[in-house]
Amino acid sequence: MDRRSFLKATGSSVVLAPAVFSSQANAQDATIQFAGSVPMTGAASETGLNVKFGYDCAVKFINEKMGGVDIGGKKHRVTLNLFDDASDPARATSLIQKQVDEGVNFFLGSFGSNIVLPTCAITEAAGRIMVQAGGGSDLIFTQGRRRVFGLFPRASRQFASTAAMFKTLNPQPQTVMFIYTNDAFSKVSAEGASKELEAAGYKVLNSIALPAQVSDVTDALGTVRAANPDILVCSTHDATSILIARQMVATNTNVKMLYQTLGPQTAAYVEALGKYANGVVGASYWDENAKYKGSIFGSAKDFAEYYRANFNRPLTYHMASGAGCIVAYVEAMKKVGNVTDRNAIRDALAGLDLETFYGRIKFTSQGDGDPVLLGPMVVQRQKGDLAVVYPTEAATAPTLYPALPWQERT
Amino acid sequence: MRDPNFSDRQAMLIIQTALNGLVLGGVYSLAAVGFSLIFGALGIVNLTHGIFVICGAYAAMVLFHVFGIDPFLATVPVAIAFFFIGYAYQRGLIQVAISRASLVASLLVTFGVALIMRNLLQLVFSPDVRTITPSYSFSSLTFGSLRIDIVRLIAVLVSIVFLLLMALVLSKTAFGRRIRATAQQPLAANLSGVNVPHVLGQTFGLGAAFAAASGAVLGIVQPFSPSSEDFWTLNAFIVVVLGGVGSPSGALLGGILLGLISSFTAQFIGPSYTNAVMFLVLVIMLLIRPQGLLGSAFGESR
Repeated sequence: MDRRSFLKATGSSVVLAPAVFSSQANAQDATIQFAGSVPMTGAASETGLNVKFGYDCAVKFINEKMGGVDIGGKKHRVTLNLFDDASDPARATSLIQKQVDEGVNFFLGSFGSNIVLPTCAITEAAGRIMVQAGGGSDLIFTQGRRRVFGLFPRASRQFASTAAMFKTLNPQPQTVMFIYTNDAFSKVSAEGASKELEAAGYKVLNSIALPAQVSDVTDALGTVRAANPDILVCSTHDATSILIARQMVATNTNVKMLYQTLGPQTAAYVEALGKYANGVVGASYWDENAKYKGSIFGSAKDFAEYYRANFNRPLTYHMASGAGCIVAYVEAMKKVGNVTDRNAIRDALAGLDLETFYGRIKFTSQGDGDPVLLGPMVVQRQKGDLAVVYPTEAATAPTLYPALPWQERT
Repeated sequence: MRDPNFSDRQAMLIIQTALNGLVLGGVYSLAAVGFSLIFGALGIVNLTHGIFVICGAYAAMVLFHVFGIDPFLATVPVAIAFFFIGYAYQRGLIQVAISRASLVASLLVTFGVALIMRNLLQLVFSPDVRTITPSYSFSSLTFGSLRIDIVRLIAVLVSIVFLLLMALVLSKTAFGRRIRATAQQPLAANLSGVNVPHVLGQTFGLGAAFAAASGAVLGIVQPFSPSSEDFWTLNAFIVVVLGGVGSPSGALLGGILLGLISSFTAQFIGPSYTNAVMFLVLVIMLLIRPQGLLGSAFGESR
């Protein structure tokens, strides 16, 4: 045969073959597909990979340990279709748009409000559902979306437990200063926190705004030294938090408490700072010693054990919140009895009030996590480990305050 | 009532900011001088420059973790290794592309190699942010209320030593004379017996060596990851526009200017505005003096 007819024959068989094979696969095994993007490279990759491993853990547990989840009388396996968005919102939006065009119904979120915000707008406009544990910016939840659910409370409400923790400190701190990254999450988080603290009677000094990509904060720290606050709150993501802490040590900038929203919880932080990480305070949305349990995974400890038995990456709360997204989806689908009725599944998610290994999952009417049930605990690095210091019912150690000056830390 | 110490504190803040800027600028200068030399002598905009810097940082990190060699000392073996890598790269890939197409082909080739290398680095080292942390990286020196961390101070001194070294090589050695001759007038250099393709390769190798050496220094000063490479290419561009092309003194001037602008903007306008102001200065410079403050070191060669 000639070249043209050969190409036509092979071309059409290549196109038709998957259709033949996939219809065979559908007949045998019911699957639920979750799609989305996560930052596996780039500035947000440390936390993005944490969330991805959480998703992988949930999928592995459901498929292997449970043999699939029973929905409407039939066993369903779970599959993931995740892309690397390289911490770039532009790349994430084009990837998510492609997946929307392919007909995906159920999305998992990326990490970082700067990526979650534009991608959730796309999924909402197409009538698809997104459950995410990566974006806390108020803007995600206050722009009238009905199909976006977040496991974290909105940024402006995330500081309530920390402000309450400040009240328990002895001697009482007088002044607080904020450093925040000028982005969708950190700025809103810092503003919400400022308001909380001023309402509680603390003096909030002038804040310092950093650009998203920052490689040097020596000048900002000069301002901090001149202002001499009791507590320095860094509403920053982990790479910037590490930079700030390192340069604080190098310039001997001491404060009685260094609080960094994201950073102290990660393995990279301890590796970069060593003994200087001890005493730094952060927020954590889950701890393996917490007394939660649910039908999928069992208790928080069971989740930690299963995770460590199957994955190498050091466990942080992001793995739990990532797995929590899939658990929320699957529990909502169980209630509805099928995996195709998007509206019913959306309503089931909105009305979810369920005890799981992650905690009691309940969303507000605008889709963010309930601030009391899903709000953060305050953690502090002590002797190389992460100890929960607030609330007192969940605490595993007392708060070390004031922190030792950098040069005296062991 | 006006705080009597206010003007003292303001003065100290200005001096501290200037100090920070000078220190930062010294490091920026070293990171840009390789790019400047290649651009001035070969006319090639080397978009792989940032990759050389980051590779230097990773190489120093590996040497530090495996052999315990201090990164400041590792600059020497790293520079030597990258001299040969740069030479092979220029003669084997870039020169071939240029001779087949035009000088502009070098843009595409160097950009493509940068992308490939960036992804290779991500595969080998993971995309996580790294730092090199020798035992002295958390110490600082204090003069009254002025602080400067030891690592940055040593980094600036090492940068100045390297810049002096390049200036000496270019002006006093036969090797440097050959480079300058080829940069100014390749045809005449060829007629005088200089092996032009060989010298061009050596010039590129020299630029790559200095870029990698600066990476070894930067690895201790700042956190780095494969995606940091575009910042260092961009930084080199700006330094060259500000200070002038082809000479270490131009790189030093441009780098220090960039460091001071960056520092003062961060302190007195706000850290979010440093990039905006840097690019504003870049635009103004291109409008009023596009050849940079010191002009091209190799005269009207291209």
